Amino acid sequence: MLNRRAMLHGFVGAGAAGGALLADMNRTAKAQEGEPVHVGSALPMSGFAAADGIEFKNGLELAAAEINAAGGILGRPIELHIEDTKDQGADLVSQAMQRLVDRYNTPAIINGYNLGTNMIEMDVAADNDIIMMHYNTLISHNEKFKTDPERYYGSFQGDPPEFWYGPGCLNFLKTLSEGGKWTAPNKKIAIIPSANEYSIVIANAIRDKAAEYGFEVSLFETVPFPTNQWGPTLAKLRQDPPAAIIVTHFLPQDLAQFMVQFLTQPINSLVYMQYGPSLPAFREIGGASINGVIYSTVIGCLPDEFSKAYRESYRAKFGPNSAYITGSQTYDGLWMWAIAAAIAGDPGEPFDKEQVGKVAAVMRRNVYRGVNGTYRADPAGQSAYCYPTQVADPSLGMPHQFLQHQDHTTDPKLIAPALYATDAFLLPPWIK
Amino acid sequence: MTTSLRPMSVSGSARLDLLVSLALVGAAVALPFMVDSRYVLGQVVLALFYATIASQWNLLFGFSGIFSLAQMAIFAFGGYATAMICFYFGWNVWAALFPGALAAVVFSLIVGLACLRLTGVYVALLTLAIAQTMYLLIVTDTECFVMVGSICRQLTGGAVGFARFGDLGTREFLKGQWLVGNYAIVATLFAVTMIATYIIVKSPIGLAFKALKDNPGYAVARGVNRFQAQLLVFGISAFFTGLAGGFYAAHFQAIGPGILSMSQLMFIIAIAVVGGVGTFWGPLVGTIVLVAADELMREAGEFRTLGLGLIIALSIVLMPKGLVGRLGDLVRWLRRRSGAAGRSKLRESTATAGE
Repeated sequence: MLNRRAMLHGFVGAGAAGGALLADMNRTAKAQEGEPVHVGSALPMSGFAAADGIEFKNGLELAAAEINAAGGILGRPIELHIEDTKDQGADLVSQAMQRLVDRYNTPAIINGYNLGTNMIEMDVAADNDIIMMHYNTLISHNEKFKTDPERYYGSFQGDPPEFWYGPGCLNFLKTLSEGGKWTAPNKKIAIIPSANEYSIVIANAIRDKAAEYGFEVSLFETVPFPTNQWGPTLAKLRQDPPAAIIVTHFLPQDLAQFMVQFLTQPINSLVYMQYGPSLPAFREIGGASINGVIYSTVIGCLPDEFSKAYRESYRAKFGPNSAYITGSQTYDGLWMWAIAAAIAGDPGEPFDKEQVGKVAAVMRRNVYRGVNGTYRADPAGQSAYCYPTQVADPSLGMPHQFLQHQDHTTDPKLIAPALYATDAFLLPPWIK
Repeated sequence: MTTSLRPMSVSGSARLDLLVSLALVGAAVALPFMVDSRYVLGQVVLALFYATIASQWNLLFGFSGIFSLAQMAIFAFGGYATAMICFYFGWNVWAALFPGALAAVVFSLIVGLACLRLTGVYVALLTLAIAQTMYLLIVTDTECFVMVGSICRQLTGGAVGFARFGDLGTREFLKGQWLVGNYAIVATLFAVTMIATYIIVKSPIGLAFKALKDNPGYAVARGVNRFQAQLLVFGISAFFTGLAGGFYAAHFQAIGPGILSMSQLMFIIAIAVVGGVGTFWGPLVGTIVLVAADELMREAGEFRTLGLGLIIALSIVLMPKGLVGRLGDLVRWLRRRSGAAGRSKLRESTATAGE
């Protein structure tokens, strides 16, 4: 079968010098003609994660508009192409990415997150010689990268893996206790995941590191996904009250229900939750019951002066209820790749390993400060470094942000890490 | 007259099946030479998996009348068994495929035994419960079984599933053309499954399955052993479904609990319903129609799911026997019409001769 790929391989093999010359001429011509650079994204635009998929798309659109307004990549505007990954999983996501490459010849695919893929995205990127950036927040990215760094050279995870939620959360509790801001009644923690990958991986990471930080897991209970019947779990918690309750289930409506049911007979435990409290639905459903809840994220728009312009543009373009905290991920991802492509001299194209390799090398070398914090690729796993748990220098790691809902009528407050914090931790109203 | 016509019609149907098969084999061989897109080839591979699973669900429900909803659970069992053998014992994927399929057979026989005293909707309820229990047991498995690098790995793979346990070896041998190799393997699997299904359906045991479906009381009275037949159909169907699960895991180099989702099961059932439940070619036709429709409606955004729903609903209302069933009706109607025309011509010519 003689096809485009076979021709390209033959062409490179036939005469590297002539090929390089032609490729250079072609690139110059493309830049002169302002031929668009096609960038793909495989996002969950339908199914249960569609709300996040839409925000990821918004982030890409805003970044593309800004990059194009600034002149594009060496004069070439970015043209975005989105593929729906529906309910996600290895089959749907890999096919969506392959479609982007086949149909639009995309040299880069910037994804948000896709669940249940077992990082097959890295194989698609490797097979097609493209750059793939994603925010799956998985340690399995690092593990897969380690198996063959040469093959997976183009795969980047834009945030630290979920593994860091474990030590990060425990370190936060320990610091809070040691700093005298909170007096832990005992050393017990209760971990409550729901039956899904994200939730369980984080719960396991916390459980596995608990002893190292001087905590003892008194309850580890997996609840159904989704769930709003918290009665049995709350009964166990009330029977043996821990110092902190860590809920890694992430649906905002269910988490709000947890707080409503918890406050009917509260215990002296801190409540830490995962992801859901960052969404407007959590505040809307929970009302005043959510005041005092802590949550964290290893990726999200920082509420600082640097990101102010982004936040304002985002809300102006996509409405006052849009979640810039989610869109910021792909926004930074596209900006980071576009800068690297410009430094490398050309974005390259699929199967052009030499040029795409140059872009990847710049992405590994560059330290990029975006609206989410600092991206610096950990060479061992090609994910972002996590500050402060993994690196002590805030200019070289993405901040693991801890936020607290202090007043349900306003945005949550950033209470850690200290260098980024805008507000101090407040003891939750139910703790006497 | 009737006895002389019957063998002719049977051999005519077999001839038609043979012709269709030859055309399909020709198209399957030509496809990689005509298609340059990895995406299209990838979709065809995925469609072949769907068609294989649907054909085995059709054997179970369409030909034997057992309304099992454990089809994706059996598929997943085969995939998980293959992946676990490779992951824990370091076996080559090819060596693990057959034991994986056998494990799926054992699992299916247990399901079959549990369903033995049940019929109709109760079989559906029990098999669905088994599939959902399997899903929950996997995703709630949080105990660390083994450490892989910095990852705590559960016995069943937990909510993450298994990855990097090996592949079909095509990347190593065919390099950039590995997908063509995987396509050839999966197409062969589909062909073997269809040939085996055809032989079973046309054999005496296939007739026993049909008899039990049409009139269980009468079939048992005539000596058909319901116990044996039901277990046999569960076992046969599970072997090919489990084998397909193993190939699926090897093709994607990953298997996770997401495969047990209701949407996957519903898509397989929709394929069989649209194509024609109880017809040999129904699952293949259903796969082509639904995968093609899904592909054509890709640009329709949120209307895509609605469009697929409409196709399924219209198919149930307008074509209760599915596309193949409707096509069969059309062929019979045309035959009757041509037969009637032939008889009337004969009458006319006789009359003319009489004149």
